[in-house]
Amino acid sequence: MKEFLKSNSVKVLVCIIFVLIMVFVFTHNVQNNFLSSSLSSLTYGLSKVTAVSTDNEAQKPYSELQRENENLKKENADLRAKLVDYYSAKEENARLWKFYNLKKENPEYTLVPAMVLRRDANDDFSSFTLDKGSSSSVKVNDPVVTENGVIGRVSEVDNNTCKVVTILSPQTSIGCIDKKSKDTGIVSGNANYSNDNLTTFAKLSSDNKVKEGDIITTTGISGLYPKDLIIGEVEEICYDNFDTSFYAVVRPYDDIKTITCVAVITEFTGQGEILKSGD
Amino acid sequence: MGKTNSFFRYLAYAVEIILLFVLETTPNLLPEIFNAKPCFLLALAISISVYEREIPSMIFGLVCGLLLDYSYCGTVGTFTFALTIICFILGYCANNIFSANFWGVILCSFVVISLVLFLQFVFSYLLPIGTNAWLFFRNNYISRIILTFIFAPLFYFLNKFIYSRLSSAGN
Repeated sequence: MKEFLKSNSVKVLVCIIFVLIMVFVFTHNVQNNFLSSSLSSLTYGLSKVTAVSTDNEAQKPYSELQRENENLKKENADLRAKLVDYYSAKEENARLWKFYNLKKENPEYTLVPAMVLRRDANDDFSSFTLDKGSSSSVKVNDPVVTENGVIGRVSEVDNNTCKVVTILSPQTSIGCIDKKSKDTGIVSGNANYSNDNLTTFAKLSSDNKVKEGDIITTTGISGLYPKDLIIGEVEEICYDNFDTSFYAVVRPYDDIKTITCVAVITEFTGQGEILKSGD
Repeated sequence: MGKTNSFFRYLAYAVEIILLFVLETTPNLLPEIFNAKPCFLLALAISISVYEREIPSMIFGLVCGLLLDYSYCGTVGTFTFALTIICFILGYCANNIFSANFWGVILCSFVVISLVLFLQFVFSYLLPIGTNAWLFFRNNYISRIILTFIFAPLFYFLNKFIYSRLSSAGN
């Protein structure tokens, strides 16, 4: 045994182990070390050939690939449909959260969220039909709002749907006030402006102090609309030659022509008080 | 004549090593059985060592270990050290202590395969990772040890054939 331990073979082994330890120390945790680079260069060609020859994807027959392609197309269509559903649900959720905030700020409101079912293509003032009717306690003249302000009022109701006349329509007349200058007037649609999603704040006095950028809100006097609902922002002040009065052009905060989700205020404090007193 | 035979024998071993390395590392070629693939080169190095002397055994062990480590971690590692030393010892023992009979080699293969793979497990998983390492050993290494051991008799007979053809005529 002693002879074996002193033999040249053992000395060679010890030398090789020493070299291996040195190599280990210098290549351990070193990216692209000379050893792996050398072995990689030596085996690259062979590995490349064998990897290509066993590539399952390349070996699949045409019919199988075609079938797989069809399946993937179907799967893709399903996923696209699901994605659309997801976006719809997400959008609706976001909108309902905004109505939730509106309700929280005005606890006296009874809100009925509704979707736009259809739009009247022949109506230039963007009136539309909602998917809520008298079965959801919606009545004629109920205000229709979004989280950004008034959109219009309910003009016709049946059991499951209702028609809304927007603030772009001349049929609408809402008593309003400029929150900054305290000037009052009537918001009513105008055929000259409705195509640009604009309405007018008319019947202003000659000494009015309405300025661009002022915010117009409801007064709540008529009993049709709650007080302090936002209508929009003044864009310009004009003079009506026929009526000999000033009016302001107002831009609502929502694009009424494209709106899809609104809420109907079916009850609020002071609703119909003037109308009742008028009877 | 003896040197020529030795050259062809070593060449045959080298071809075996290359073929088994390709077989082992080609993707999608060998199926995984119980989460593991066999270590052909480990079984081959043992079967070469029982027929060769210390130095050639050690060199083939070193080459097999390097290739195994290269495919596992890209540098010198457990397989290289373990196979270099174990093949050297096996080469010495097979020539001086016991003869290379079937059952002796099978027993020897089982012990060496288990020992080397266990060492690899210790240095690659148990020490650096620790948690769930034994679960990994149970799920992966036991099956790898068994699969590698299954191929040991095959390489034993193959190298016995090569040795008998390329050494007796020359020696």
